[in-house]
Amino acid sequence: MRDILSKVIDVAERFGAKYVEVRAQNLFKTMLTLKEGRVEAAKQGIENGAALRVLVKGAWGFASVGALDFETLNEGVLDACKMAKVASSRLKTPIKLVQAEPVEDKVRAKPRKNPSQISIEDKIKTTSALNNVILGYNSHVKSCTIDYLDLTGTSYFINNEGTYIEQDKLYVWSRITATASEADVFTFSREEIGSTSGYEVFDVETPEIVGEKVAKRAVEQLKAKPPKGGAFPVVLGSNVVGVFVHEAFGHLAEADLTLSGSILMDKLGNKIASDKVTIYDDGTITAAFGSFKYDDEGIPAQKTLLIKDGVVVGLMHNRETAHKLRAKPTGNARAEDFRVEPMIRMRNTFMEPKDYSFEELLEDIKKGYYFKSFRGGQANLDGTFQVGIQEACEIVNGELGEPIRNASISGNTLETLFKVDAVGKDFELSPGRCGKGQTAFVCDGGPHIRVKEVLVGGGA
Amino acid sequence: MVAALKQEETLNLAEDAVAFALKKGANEAEAYAYQGLTSNVVIERGQIAKSTRIIDRGIGIRVIVNKAVGFSYTNIVRSKTAIEDTILKALSSAKASKPDKDWASLPSNKSYASVKKTYDHTIVELHPEDLVKIASTMLDAAEKTDKRVFPIEGGAGTSYLSKAVANSNGITSFDHGTFIECSLATIAQQGGEVTPVCFEFNTERNYNLDPEWVGKEAARLAASALKARKTETKSTNVIFAQYAFQELLYYTLINALKADFVQRNQSAFKDKIGEKVASDIVTIYDDGLLDGGLRTWKSDGEGVPQQKTLIIEKGVLRNFIYDNYTAKKEGKKSTGNATRAGYLSTPNIEATNFHFMTGNKSPEELLNEVNEGLLVNYLQGAHSSNPASGEFSVVATPAWKIKDGKIAYATKGAMLAGNIFDMLKNVSAMANNERKIGQLVAPWIMVENVKVIGK
Repeated sequence: MRDILSKVIDVAERFGAKYVEVRAQNLFKTMLTLKEGRVEAAKQGIENGAALRVLVKGAWGFASVGALDFETLNEGVLDACKMAKVASSRLKTPIKLVQAEPVEDKVRAKPRKNPSQISIEDKIKTTSALNNVILGYNSHVKSCTIDYLDLTGTSYFINNEGTYIEQDKLYVWSRITATASEADVFTFSREEIGSTSGYEVFDVETPEIVGEKVAKRAVEQLKAKPPKGGAFPVVLGSNVVGVFVHEAFGHLAEADLTLSGSILMDKLGNKIASDKVTIYDDGTITAAFGSFKYDDEGIPAQKTLLIKDGVVVGLMHNRETAHKLRAKPTGNARAEDFRVEPMIRMRNTFMEPKDYSFEELLEDIKKGYYFKSFRGGQANLDGTFQVGIQEACEIVNGELGEPIRNASISGNTLETLFKVDAVGKDFELSPGRCGKGQTAFVCDGGPHIRVKEVLVGGGA
Repeated sequence: MVAALKQEETLNLAEDAVAFALKKGANEAEAYAYQGLTSNVVIERGQIAKSTRIIDRGIGIRVIVNKAVGFSYTNIVRSKTAIEDTILKALSSAKASKPDKDWASLPSNKSYASVKKTYDHTIVELHPEDLVKIASTMLDAAEKTDKRVFPIEGGAGTSYLSKAVANSNGITSFDHGTFIECSLATIAQQGGEVTPVCFEFNTERNYNLDPEWVGKEAARLAASALKARKTETKSTNVIFAQYAFQELLYYTLINALKADFVQRNQSAFKDKIGEKVASDIVTIYDDGLLDGGLRTWKSDGEGVPQQKTLIIEKGVLRNFIYDNYTAKKEGKKSTGNATRAGYLSTPNIEATNFHFMTGNKSPEELLNEVNEGLLVNYLQGAHSSNPASGEFSVVATPAWKIKDGKIAYATKGAMLAGNIFDMLKNVSAMANNERKIGQLVAPWIMVENVKVIGK
């Protein structure tokens, strides 16, 4: 493989490319969809292809092809060079990349249970067991959909600066959703499992544990009432803190979005949150769903400090934004597969725990809400965020009260970060998928926290 | 440039795969051969900085063995061995899987209606230089409109898609189509204030694009989102522009109309055919044959002819949308709503062109009639709606306060909460400014009595 890829690099350099990279991949996937235990289809896929990216006259050219023979790659890289040349015709500021140390490495996955060695029968057995726990929970549970995916393969990265990396890919993922109904009330509950260790993730996230969690939530919401809209003090569970940190803050700290005018532009070194808030994006946590050794520009993943005691100290970079902002690359350039270019993506993003117990977080709240688990979130460059909630209850005089359903929270990220007035001592990371045009596997999380005031929407 | 596969090559690929699957023991087999050639010129942070070309082709094979379904795909289409290995994988998947007692059969051969304005040779012939020209026109128009506006991302692109379906019940179908689009996302900045991202675009099947309008409009929207104020909490009239409405419908109403959701007790519309579910002025078709529609094709992802299906007629629910499996389960005919994510997936039920019949008021007339309300262009968080109940709780951003028939000011962080099924009953007017956005074809839609949570 390396010989062919080196020849492709030569072709682009002869054309006049200043920077050239080739990312070739072999990928294997197994997928299942179960609906009420019925296996809709057992699916397997084999893909290979290459992403070819060049800088010519300061503009990017990119081509993706679905084959790995020299002839196709040669045509592909010339396509990329010609495309770059065309794009450069209206360029105002040429693109430059920050210096990077050349790396040579081979990274092998070492799963205890390699998903590609587990039979489809076994995978059907595990997901069916999960289905049975959910549908067997009680008669209010009406439906259960389980998606399963495992992906294995190898990525070969080469550039014209002396970097050559072979890196195994291994992901195991499942999304479990259930609905329940009683009279006119419909409820919905979902959970995700995700790991880069191996199929052994199901030894911890067993069908019994996950199934019970999903079913119980759907059923308990049947008794829940809609919340009263307005501004309230709230306690956010780890899972909601995670999505808040990821959506409301994280995206604004992706340097491409910061440069596009996110509210963090010109805020580096400034206080943007209460003293209690410290936030990291960490690509090095063993087995976590957002971890990897090298990103898709060949930069080692690292633990990146974004907010320290309320002060924003770092952003997430690729080589282009790092050059532009005179920063070090952080290893956040990720591409979903060989069909697309790397872009700045989060890895495992979390708030650091402090010293409050759960009871202490609740005790000073007279009337508020406890938001335990989320159902999606979204942020805007101006700092407006929204997080949908799938599990919540009231807080009355420092104690948990009646369950509520279909709530969401919203506000301005910076205002809200300043209102974080107590941070718990527990910690949890949840796997998920982030969409920014491409899908990236990530984790997010943190401890429980208390926020003095957020806008609570919900309830018809 | 890497050449496109021709019609015969694509069809042969699919037909040979079906024959091989049957020979190796499949009871039934279906192959879906797909190719997509996409070129883009990309705007990043105010300049054209990139150009991309993506060639993606592959084949997906679905086989049935003793009523169990197996599926496998590959993008290695130049190698006969790789395709045969893929077919064997589909067979081994089916054999490992569990039989489905409701499996009836793959669809059989039907005749296809012709579709109009879905393929334009001019688009295929365009050069990257032409796309640079389109992107520059758009960018220049935006910059000329307002100095406070910054174009953050966007671009211009074309794609050519072709797909062939063959199955063991005699279906062989080929269709191809073209798309051209340009889009621009902008923000405006003034005195420390940053607006939410504003966005405008134009996507067409024929070479009939207006990049200048897109640039101007993207800039105008961002500039008018400046000086945003908080608004009060109350129930009020809301005019949904198409983009906002599309986001809301995708996660709620459209799911409730899918036969799969209905059969699995996940739809609030179960047992409601013939009942009044929306106000009198709501008439919706799912029109897979709409001239120039963004989702118009001769056949769906299973080779079933696409069609025009009446969904809601003057407020009364008339039909659900079906694929082959869910239709046969009820002894009905598929409505041609099986879609696929290229060759990578088995068919799923999805709306084609979800077409709201328009009213006869211009958008200005509609605005003029509102004493107090909100005009909402985009939503944040629609994907966190409760898909089963239709309940949503989202942020309207950007949105504008309407007072005495005029836009008064941009609002900041207003939340909308409610239930899509209640909202349909409160639709009080439709404008006449129909446009295509994803699967939605609709005008501005006015809804009364929507709960807005402000300060």
